[in-house]
Amino acid sequence: MAEAMGFFTDPTVCIGCKACEVACKQWNQLPALDDARKTLSGDSYDNTRKLDGTHWRHVKFIEQIDEDRRDGRWTMLSDVCKHCVQAGCLEVCPTNAIIRTEFDTVVIQSDTCNGCKACIAACPFGVIDINPVSNTAQKCTLCYDRLQAGMEPACSQACPTDSIVFGPVRELKERAARRVDQLHAAGEKRAVLYGADEKMLGGLNAFFLLVDRPEVYGLPPDPKMPSRHLVPGTLFTMLGALIVGLVSIFNFRDRRADEAGRD
Amino acid sequence: MIDAPSSTWFTASPHWYWLIVVYFVLGALAGGTYFLSAMIDLTGRSSDRRLARLGYYITLPLLLVIGVVLIVDLSRPDRFWHLFIENHTLRPMFKYWVPMSTGSWAVPLFGFFATLSFVATIAEHHRPHWRFARRLRPPALLGTLVAVLGAILALHVTGYTGVMLSVLNRPVWSDTPLFGMLFIVSAVTMSAALLALGARWLRWQSPAVAALNRIWMWLLVVQILVLVALFISLGPAVRGWLNVWGIVLAIGITIGIVLPLIAFRRRRPQGKGGLSVAAALVLAGGFLVRTAIVFVPVVNAP
Amino acid sequence: MYPRAMEDSDCVLVMGSNMAENHPVAFRWPMKAKVEHGAKLIHVDPRFTRTSAMADIYAPLRAGSDIAFLGGLVNFVLNSERWNQDPFFRTFVSTYTNASTIISSEFRDTEDLDGVFSGLMAYTGDAEEWPFNGFIGEYKSSSWKYAGSDTHSRGRIADTQRSGEQANDGPGDERTKRALKNAASGPPYDRMVQALVGAPELRDETLANPRSVLQIVRRHFSRYTPEMVEQVTGCPRDLFLRVAQTILDNSGAERTTSIAYAVAWTQHTYGVQIIGCAALLQLLLGNVGRPGAGIVALRGHASIQGSTDIPTLYHSIHGYMAHPSALKPHASLAEWLVEETQPTGYWANTPKFMVSYLKSMYGAAATRDNNFGYDWHPKIIGDHSHMPMFVAMNEGRVKGMFCIGQNPATSLNAKLERSGLRKLEWLVVKDNWLHETSMFWKTAPEVRSGEVATADIATEVFFFPSSQVAEYDGSFTNTQRMLQWHYKAANAPGDCRSDMYFTYELGKRLKKLYANSTLARDEGFKHMVWDYESDDARDRQMGEPGSEKILKEINGFYSDNPGRHLAGAEDLSDDGSTSCASWIYCGVFPSPGENRSANRVADKPGVRGAQLGWGFAWPSNRRILYNRVSADPQGRPWSERKKYIWWDEAQRKWVGLDVPDFPETKPPTQQPVPGATGMDAHSGTDAFILKADGVGWLYVPEGLVDGPLPTHYEPAESPVRNPLYRQQSSPVLKYWNVAGNPLADVADPKYPHVITTYRLTEHYLSGAMSRWNPWLAELQPELFVELSPELAREKGIANLDRVRITSPRASVHAKALVTRRMQPLKIAGQMVHQVGMPFHWGWEGLTTGDVVNEMSALIGDPNVSMHEGKAFVCNVQKA
Repeated sequence: MAEAMGFFTDPTVCIGCKACEVACKQWNQLPALDDARKTLSGDSYDNTRKLDGTHWRHVKFIEQIDEDRRDGRWTMLSDVCKHCVQAGCLEVCPTNAIIRTEFDTVVIQSDTCNGCKACIAACPFGVIDINPVSNTAQKCTLCYDRLQAGMEPACSQACPTDSIVFGPVRELKERAARRVDQLHAAGEKRAVLYGADEKMLGGLNAFFLLVDRPEVYGLPPDPKMPSRHLVPGTLFTMLGALIVGLVSIFNFRDRRADEAGRD
Repeated sequence: MIDAPSSTWFTASPHWYWLIVVYFVLGALAGGTYFLSAMIDLTGRSSDRRLARLGYYITLPLLLVIGVVLIVDLSRPDRFWHLFIENHTLRPMFKYWVPMSTGSWAVPLFGFFATLSFVATIAEHHRPHWRFARRLRPPALLGTLVAVLGAILALHVTGYTGVMLSVLNRPVWSDTPLFGMLFIVSAVTMSAALLALGARWLRWQSPAVAALNRIWMWLLVVQILVLVALFISLGPAVRGWLNVWGIVLAIGITIGIVLPLIAFRRRRPQGKGGLSVAAALVLAGGFLVRTAIVFVPVVNAP
Repeated sequence: MYPRAMEDSDCVLVMGSNMAENHPVAFRWPMKAKVEHGAKLIHVDPRFTRTSAMADIYAPLRAGSDIAFLGGLVNFVLNSERWNQDPFFRTFVSTYTNASTIISSEFRDTEDLDGVFSGLMAYTGDAEEWPFNGFIGEYKSSSWKYAGSDTHSRGRIADTQRSGEQANDGPGDERTKRALKNAASGPPYDRMVQALVGAPELRDETLANPRSVLQIVRRHFSRYTPEMVEQVTGCPRDLFLRVAQTILDNSGAERTTSIAYAVAWTQHTYGVQIIGCAALLQLLLGNVGRPGAGIVALRGHASIQGSTDIPTLYHSIHGYMAHPSALKPHASLAEWLVEETQPTGYWANTPKFMVSYLKSMYGAAATRDNNFGYDWHPKIIGDHSHMPMFVAMNEGRVKGMFCIGQNPATSLNAKLERSGLRKLEWLVVKDNWLHETSMFWKTAPEVRSGEVATADIATEVFFFPSSQVAEYDGSFTNTQRMLQWHYKAANAPGDCRSDMYFTYELGKRLKKLYANSTLARDEGFKHMVWDYESDDARDRQMGEPGSEKILKEINGFYSDNPGRHLAGAEDLSDDGSTSCASWIYCGVFPSPGENRSANRVADKPGVRGAQLGWGFAWPSNRRILYNRVSADPQGRPWSERKKYIWWDEAQRKWVGLDVPDFPETKPPTQQPVPGATGMDAHSGTDAFILKADGVGWLYVPEGLVDGPLPTHYEPAESPVRNPLYRQQSSPVLKYWNVAGNPLADVADPKYPHVITTYRLTEHYLSGAMSRWNPWLAELQPELFVELSPELAREKGIANLDRVRITSPRASVHAKALVTRRMQPLKIAGQMVHQVGMPFHWGWEGLTTGDVVNEMSALIGDPNVSMHEGKAFVCNVQKA
């Protein structure tokens, strides 16, 4: 396997230009919204609203401005598939449509996916959805086709302020750590990395720098693997099976009381 | 959502709606009826065989409907076979740790056994000359094997759907490991009620019919315990019910559990009709509870 | 200054621009400065925008009050201890600016005349044939001049008398007569230039003379106190002082501050003065011509710089020379040369530029004997820019229009523009899509409402589908003045053709049409050089011209040997032996096969340089203009950190990271030769080589029609009285008082709010390039109006409510976007609400919406006829 590749996304330098969204759509030939959602959302400058099967990059706009305007922040964050080292979607996919590539990225093979939609519900970040053109589940591929050709993903290449940086995850983590130190030194004490260490799903190959709680950015504070309930869930279900079995056997066998009660 | 009670709140909907409700209800009844029939066949008297026959007759048609529903609910129904054969390698596709994968195999496999039992039932009832077929039903050895394996698969089909909900990442669904248990118990409950209703409709009287009424009654009690445990296990995610689907759930529990239990307690020896109403309520309630469970994550979005 | 140079800035003031929003790619560089070496980013704007989001300091201000803010900064700097004590500032200002120059005793400042300068009078300059210049008044600017000198009383003057918008008596004085006599005998024109030289200006090196520029500037800005800034702009005083202190702290020998602006500074009735005020501030702080210093003019189009270099402007010909005008003493080439040549500084070469230009126009037909074809050249008769053109159109004075890359049906006071379009006999639209202008006769609001019937519109509309930039070879010139060649990537589909094709084909057909004409006015077409046949077989078949042939004509070549290209403007001559369309571009194509705009050699990462191997920046591939000032008067770098160009005594020449914008071997100690012309008239410290006096102008004695110093005026429509002067708004602005173009009274209660219009990242201008793109349409699918929660509450408007916005011209509807990014401001004791609207929408395309420009007015800046779209008044109601 080649070296693990990923994204480091830094909202403190994101200007919300959405070039990543458009570059992604252009390269991957994703259709635009053409339904009731193609309206003004009223939520700041975000009108595409979420990541889904046709939006593999999505820029969130978070307005945090005091009523007296003394303190204000308008944060933009370009969200994307996290390419988790422990990927929930890959785990639950019943057709092996979702694979891990030689770049340690997670890719849905659209010729295999049959649209069961389990991965949509399994992704801890709500990244995946059905693309209405292919009718398969789709998400960021980290431009697998470009990577195979030695090129950079479309979104990071289009990013004018290097808010999205692409590279070997190892190098990105070093760069991100330096950026956090820099922000701490500049007085932004809340700067932390999200998903850079292995505690979160074994590490997110596309990780983020945050200067507020993850929830503020629409990110789960504690994303988990779907399989966490597999063993207890199975055991409890077996317990259920045992109970229904016993109740059935007991009642079908013991018919004297029943016959006695019959008049 | 800045004050989301659980990280599951940040996930996306798999767009599982009414077809899945239909599947969950029919799957519960198909599995439950087969399981009860097999139990009657395996442990009951020969005089109850017609009740088991009723069960087998219900199971197979439901399974056929389920097959269609499951394939239609895929966004690419033409590729349903990818669940069984990996399309690139053409190797069998099976992930034991994925409920949807085990379920995908379990449903047709269960269908196989249900078909055997169905054929055996027909043979016993209408085609006495299908001698081999008659051996597919207990007490023949082969029939016993069919019934045991079929019953296990039947329970798997009723239970895996609940495990599947727990083993995703959606609000409420995946905030507890207990949906599988709830589903398996309620599936048999509903099926017992269904068979009891069928017997009533056919004006059959037998010890097993009374047993069915007792079974759903006892399992309703178990369900209450499971539900209590489930609500406790949800922790903060229990807030996910504070919406219209919580109301549907409450109605489902009321008419599907509380009212039937009351009716059962107050039953009079003559009042067999009262039990039928109660059994019908169990079914209706079971339907509402499953509906509420399928839809509850949708309204809990970040 | 150019965007990449902002990488070296220690502080960046973005004002009059939403740089992150509208120039996201250029914004890479201030972000790099911020992230990599902690540069401070300041944004001053009526709205908290994407740029504010990235800023260290965001300061709100009322739209249109920029000069009050900048004037406050000037006043702060002049009164600061540091500026008065740090020798850097004193040396820089006294050496490199006109701070010490003495101004005419006739000059009266706004301080003396309560908001106007000396020389104000009624405007009477319209020519009978073209009464559309729009001035409401004019200044006779003679009293603004340098004392005791008339060196600069000619040449590149743009007061109303000489801007081509006012009949002029013509040259009369003795020197002019002598020059005319010398010019009449034809080239060489050296003696004519010599004859134009006048007495040098008076200076007081102590800067103490009350009539010195510095003292006039001090007095002029003395009333721009932080308190007054707060009163006028609404920006809290403490915030203003933080901005001022940050800029001052980041200026000097070791540090530099840059300023970036865009059309939010130009679209005012005093836009040029806002930019002038920024230039004044930067000159005072030594933030010019040095790494990370200067003023970045952010351009709205990919090649808008190119379109002023090779102009689509009405008033200039290639290379910023004045367009021959029927109203100026331009009757002959000699008169034009005498009128337009500045005898000292680099512009003394004007005769070479002009004659070479005429040679490029008329080729072999242009000879010494026929004044190089000057008489064939068309002349202007007034202001032919956008607004007067549409006023004239409405009066039936314009027969036809080529509309290429414009969408006037959604432009200023759009309904009025559309009524102008209806009076045309023919309209040619060449664009990518059938946008509003091409469909005005069928789907315009007034047609759909039944007010106008399509059957009554006689305009014949032709539509030509356009090819895209990647479908032909050509060049872009960006705001760095850098030409970058681009190659064709794909053939255009169907009948789509390039603009070059269209122009070339049109020229060929007109030449054919006039080939047998005997009319004098058609001589120009007959003699025009028009041969750009492509060497590529397919292009030739499609009729597409060869782009490099056009570049060659622009670059220039020797008349007797067209295969020999000119290597630079130094090769130009005034005797017809050289042909060069644009002297500033000379050198971009120095020999066949050497197209320097196609150069793509980047500097090595981490090595300081000016990227000289990338593209070609005019003039002579210089990246920072006037970079001589990056060294001190003795030629030494001001500091190691800001080292850029310096004098190498061993080599006896200027060296450094860039091409020196200075005579390469002229030592810093060089004294001017008395009475000399051209560069010899400049000393070794006269860094501003295009200026007659070789210094940067704090005070602008000529060239502006609305005053030598920036002064705060209210926008033509304002909810408040001018808190600074009795004069409410510019006394010389341009306003076309025609039906359909009314203005609100000052503080009109019917229109209590300030409205500012702007662009979004997601769309482009009138949307003609973006509203047809589904990927962009989904990003901003609907028109909206941004307003504060305070105003929304006052008007009972909720987020996403449908709202009606009304100006004195029109009403439009939009959805409300209620946000704290907008805020009410306290102006002179009164709460003023501001609303903002993007102007991208129209009724055609994948996303449609009301035309915001229906509300704007035909009113503009007197220097450049730019409209006032950034600050006018409106009312907002729930619809």
